[in-house]
Amino acid sequence: MANSSSASDLSSGTALLLLAPLTTVMLLILLYPLGMTVWTSVYDGQFSFNAYADLATSTLFMKVLRNTFEIAIGGTLVSLLFGYPVALHLAAQAPRRRTAYLIMVMLPFWTSILVKSFALVAVFGNQGLINQLLGLLSGGTVNLPMMFNRVGVILGMINFLLPFMILSILGSLLSLDRRLILAAETMGAGPLRIFWKITLPLSMPGVIAGVLINITLSIGMYITPALLGGRQDMMVANLVDFYTRQTLDWTAASATAVVLLLLSGVLVALLGQVRGSRGLAGAGA
Amino acid sequence: MNELFGSSRLMRGLVSSAAWTCYLFLLLPSLIVIPISFGNPGQIEFPPRQFTLQLYRQFFTDPAWWGSTVQSLFVASITTLVALALAVPAAYALARSRLPGRAGLQGLFMMPMLVPVIVLGLGLYLQFSNWGLLDTTAGIVLAHIMLTTPYIMVSVMSGLHHSDVALETVASIMGASRITIFFKVVLPQLKASIAVGALFAFLMSLDEVVVAYFLTGTNSMTLPVKMYSSIRWELTPVLAAVSTLLTVLSLLIALGIIAMQSKTEASA
Repeated sequence: MANSSSASDLSSGTALLLLAPLTTVMLLILLYPLGMTVWTSVYDGQFSFNAYADLATSTLFMKVLRNTFEIAIGGTLVSLLFGYPVALHLAAQAPRRRTAYLIMVMLPFWTSILVKSFALVAVFGNQGLINQLLGLLSGGTVNLPMMFNRVGVILGMINFLLPFMILSILGSLLSLDRRLILAAETMGAGPLRIFWKITLPLSMPGVIAGVLINITLSIGMYITPALLGGRQDMMVANLVDFYTRQTLDWTAASATAVVLLLLSGVLVALLGQVRGSRGLAGAGA
Repeated sequence: MNELFGSSRLMRGLVSSAAWTCYLFLLLPSLIVIPISFGNPGQIEFPPRQFTLQLYRQFFTDPAWWGSTVQSLFVASITTLVALALAVPAAYALARSRLPGRAGLQGLFMMPMLVPVIVLGLGLYLQFSNWGLLDTTAGIVLAHIMLTTPYIMVSVMSGLHHSDVALETVASIMGASRITIFFKVVLPQLKASIAVGALFAFLMSLDEVVVAYFLTGTNSMTLPVKMYSSIRWELTPVLAAVSTLLTVLSLLIALGIIAMQSKTEASA
């Protein structure tokens, strides 16, 4: 053996024995169903790629794919636009205070997505608090449409995405060398110049990672568009469900799922490039 | 002076007002459900014009709500126990052996974190409809075990990374068997990491809706699935009581995780 082994190392036999149960479960409950999905997408009595050809010519699929990209990119941009100042604000605090503020970011991270969706409907819905309030103020019935449309999906989405964006950018900001800013200030650089020339460029790794995490998470989003979007805002995940449950077309459902799997595979690979091997750890839902 | 944009009062003002808008927006959903849950049982009302526990009474006495809650708690408990029994030994083997192909296995174990849940939901639906596991408690538990093990693995692997290998080497030289070393030397050092992983797995199973929506029906419906269809179709105020209870529970679990994590960091 070229490897130097120490007394604390397990023998290969023991290691195999300890790894076997989880490996079996993952083969049966993870790889087998994924393989079955791929198989269902190409085999329907006989082997063919018809399901994919059908998707490519389906106006519904194309519309849903466009929706998915528009909503994912839109949600990610809004999340970046609001997440960056929050990360800046957090990074500028003294450590103890930062911990206190971080709780406000982490609390929603721990809150069930269903609780958030319900609350958003109760606040922004057609009979929601904001419309009730506007009605009281104007003395009439107000139906400002903020839910069950694109606005609703984006609102729900950024409520879910913001913590991931904030934490990712915060990591970059905290590792930035503050002496650079001090030096620039001493040399007479104004705040905007400092921001554009130092803070922003040096925080780019965090921004890129945050953007990729956000797009990856939002591209597979199911609950938010189903509960907060309108009929026009179906995303790929909802289409998988639609084919499975409404039209009972498992071949189309599987082909759609495979497309989604490939899309997120590419994004995860990109993220791996940016962040080394740490990947999406901690990103559930 | 230490600001990341120099000492500009205008920038500071802009940044902090943008940040506070976000804090409010992030907290709003968690906070708004609490007053609603003590208010009018007839309709969702804010600010509530009365104080009653009616909505909580409805939640605990309605068999559909309470039944799915019991089902969820049961599923989450079994899931956590089995996931621990599978993931802890596997994490130990990955960290302390030189088996070829470890990286591949680790990749396989982490995969459920990276594959979109809807894809997993469909795959399991296709498989379980063949195996007769649709709408069974066993089916949903199996699915949740697969979904939660990566999070336990991450926590335990990091605990192993921080634990003292020398102690295991010493025990081994002194003649302790593998099993003795695992239970007497390794496990005690991993207590906090295992607790973090277990709490995380429990909360994830309790909250999981997409896969559960594909796999469960009237016989095995979990609380999130019941909530999902209720938000979608009826929007009853009982949801406010359920949401408040869930938020309090996740907050408690989060605090437990934070406390355990600071313990592992302190001992490292």
